[in-house]
Amino acid sequence: MNLFDLRVILGILAVMALLRLVRASLLVWILAWWIGMYVFVSRGFATPVPASAQNIYLGIVTLALFAYVTSSGERVRSFVDPLVTFAGDGRYTLALVPVLLALPALAAYREYVNAKVPVEPPFFARTVHPSPPTEITVHDVKVDMVGGDNPLRHLEQSDPEKFRQHVENGKAVYYEHCFFCHADALGGDGMYAHGLNPAPANFIDQGVLPNFQETFFFWRIAKGGPGMPDEGAPGDSAMPEWERFLSNEEMWEVVLFLYDHTGYRPRAREVHAEGH
Amino acid sequence: MRIAAIGLACALGVGVASADASAAPDLGSDAQRAAGKELYTRNCAQCHGDKGDGNGVAAPHLMPRPRDFTSGKFKIRTTPSGKLPTDEDLKHIIKVGMPYTSMPAWPEFSDEQLMSLVSYVKSFSPDFARAENQVEGMTIPKPPAMTAESVARGKASYAELGCARCHGELGRTDGGTAPTLKDDFDHPILPADLSRPWTFRGGARREDIFRAMTTGLNGTPMPAFGEALTEEQRWDITDYIFALGGSSESPDYATLLTAKKITGDIDLAAADTLFDQAPAAFFPIVGQIMQPGRAFHPASNGLTARAVYNDADLAIELRWNDMRGNASGKNAPDLAVPPEEDAAEPMAAKPAGAAADDGGWGDAEEKPAAGKAADADPWGDAEAKPGDADEKDPWAEDDGATGAGDGASEFSDAVALQFPVVLPTSIRKPYFLFGDKDHPVHLWFADLARKTPSLWLGHGSDKMENLGARDLAVTSRFEKGEWRVVFKRRLRSTGALSFEEHGFAPIAFSVWDGASRERGNKRGLTTWWSIYFEPAEKPSPAGSMAASALGVLVLEAAFVAWARRRKRTEAA
Repeated sequence: MNLFDLRVILGILAVMALLRLVRASLLVWILAWWIGMYVFVSRGFATPVPASAQNIYLGIVTLALFAYVTSSGERVRSFVDPLVTFAGDGRYTLALVPVLLALPALAAYREYVNAKVPVEPPFFARTVHPSPPTEITVHDVKVDMVGGDNPLRHLEQSDPEKFRQHVENGKAVYYEHCFFCHADALGGDGMYAHGLNPAPANFIDQGVLPNFQETFFFWRIAKGGPGMPDEGAPGDSAMPEWERFLSNEEMWEVVLFLYDHTGYRPRAREVHAEGH
Repeated sequence: MRIAAIGLACALGVGVASADASAAPDLGSDAQRAAGKELYTRNCAQCHGDKGDGNGVAAPHLMPRPRDFTSGKFKIRTTPSGKLPTDEDLKHIIKVGMPYTSMPAWPEFSDEQLMSLVSYVKSFSPDFARAENQVEGMTIPKPPAMTAESVARGKASYAELGCARCHGELGRTDGGTAPTLKDDFDHPILPADLSRPWTFRGGARREDIFRAMTTGLNGTPMPAFGEALTEEQRWDITDYIFALGGSSESPDYATLLTAKKITGDIDLAAADTLFDQAPAAFFPIVGQIMQPGRAFHPASNGLTARAVYNDADLAIELRWNDMRGNASGKNAPDLAVPPEEDAAEPMAAKPAGAAADDGGWGDAEEKPAAGKAADADPWGDAEAKPGDADEKDPWAEDDGATGAGDGASEFSDAVALQFPVVLPTSIRKPYFLFGDKDHPVHLWFADLARKTPSLWLGHGSDKMENLGARDLAVTSRFEKGEWRVVFKRRLRSTGALSFEEHGFAPIAFSVWDGASRERGNKRGLTTWWSIYFEPAEKPSPAGSMAASALGVLVLEAAFVAWARRRKRTEAA
């Protein structure tokens, strides 16, 4: 949708088309590609790309262009020769001097800009959805995280009326306890979300509910932030350990509600080949 | 038949109910109401209830309560006080929501969907069906220029009209009647905090404030001034309110507190000017809703911090708004909260008229001769001096007489800073709720009814240990609805976190409002943010600029020399 800034992309394409018309030399093309990609990653997206990611992309672009140019002696020559002529031929001295001065100035300016970047706290990468243990114990009940399933799920087929009742119970639990952070419409932007870091899970996001089995959410709900493995930033997460407030059935019900309200289905269990 | 005709008119896009007040009320078509019901049942009934009476499953846990649509009372309207809102008013509020309440914004609804919802919502109250109730909404005029004069005139009107009785002199909800206010449904209600415009229910633009001044908020104690004041007077007062909020519409929350290095002494007696050079960081406060003793609706919603340090000491100033400075009673991070107060109905426990305290301020360091400390402390002087009598609101005095005696409250206001005991070197920080078994935290705690702070060691909220004052000092003052507390500690400390120039440390905050019976786990808090000790002199970029320019120049020279030689040999 609004991922790209279309004006920028059209601008780049227009310049490229123009170069095609005037049959620009390889050197000009290489420069055009590099500058075009630079403009694309720095200006072409609706939400700015982080500087570190920009540098990675541009590094790849640079390597790719280098590989292209050095792939044959002819290309190397058509790239280097104009440069050698420009720098070595006395006729161009007048044009060469400003270029020779502009490049160091540019390098100095880049250093200046870097020095002005505001300080940021040390950053530690965190795993958003860390792997659960193979088994957890909640209110003295062992739950198999790999082979287990929501004990109420089978009612969806066998007793739809009873299933509906469990979903309704889950809804009541959600709107008593969860929606302050995870929001009315389940978008993770509830009335306290602005004060939390990491942000509460967004259940509308396609990357959350459909990608996991129900046991995963039961684990996250029951054990909360303190039950997070180390890679998940356990000290920061504001997710309560709901086993302190809710029964197992209430937690399974709220999982049913999440899927029911969003219309997503839990990820299908993997069928292991060792079965006969 | 008629309904169908109106529905058709609606579908053709002429459905502004207030367009013609003499016509029969436009209640939407059956199809619209059916579509509206479907949207309502899925998205709205959780709070507003299936019958629209504001009694959904979530309702008992909410503050403010969800609107009771059967009452016909709506806060945000362009229509005169006491009147029903227009369709456009209802659509608008669904679309933008009510900030800092549980009513979210619904930007994803199309105009058609909004119209269906509005038709259904209107069916809950018979008032909408009566032609005589139809009134036109006003068009909000284009705001005139805001000037120093308009703000000054507005300030005078604000005082004259008695706005301060509820909102407080500087708009920080510390008016004398504020804690006793109730809405028409007998639920406690808070006056808007005019220093925090982003929390304004109907929006924070000058047009929004003007609308609230003109039409009031139905069902609440906020009156309408559309008839009592001229349009110009209403704009003046709007400008004053806009200025009270710092002329900003957004909170600009911080994630980093930058401590400024200063050369002079850090003297708590000079706390008034100590932080003049330090940048302010505003952190959001949310309820402690993770562990038993939950506070779903903490009294505070934000806290401003500033910090300075020198080679020996560190001082951190915290400011937050509070209706009352409760400087009597007691508080501590380990006070137990009985289960019946856990997730209790919002504000049910708030005692009516916890009257104004005398604005408690503590003196700086604990000294044996308290009298000596007091006269050495300009904060104390400033407080005791003029205006004390002038500033007393007559209403506040009334309140004191009828309220809770001499303003004593069981629990005092309190505040705490939290640091890890050991600086984390990975993503693994101590649990932000007072630490955990393996990762302890230190709290710099100030019970604002006491003159001495205390250092607490936390291994989790059920394992808190009071270590005494140690090398902590604190001074505090309550003035015009704002607490201002300054902590001081040596920069380096044995057995606790030492701070280094150019270093970072995790920092978190907790605030307790005694009048709301907040203590122990029942409190407002922040998650971990960071404090940064900015070096006295930022390294100049000149060196690295020169180095990289020179480097490029050398490469250029080498290339040009090589090219020239090659051209020469080619020519030869």
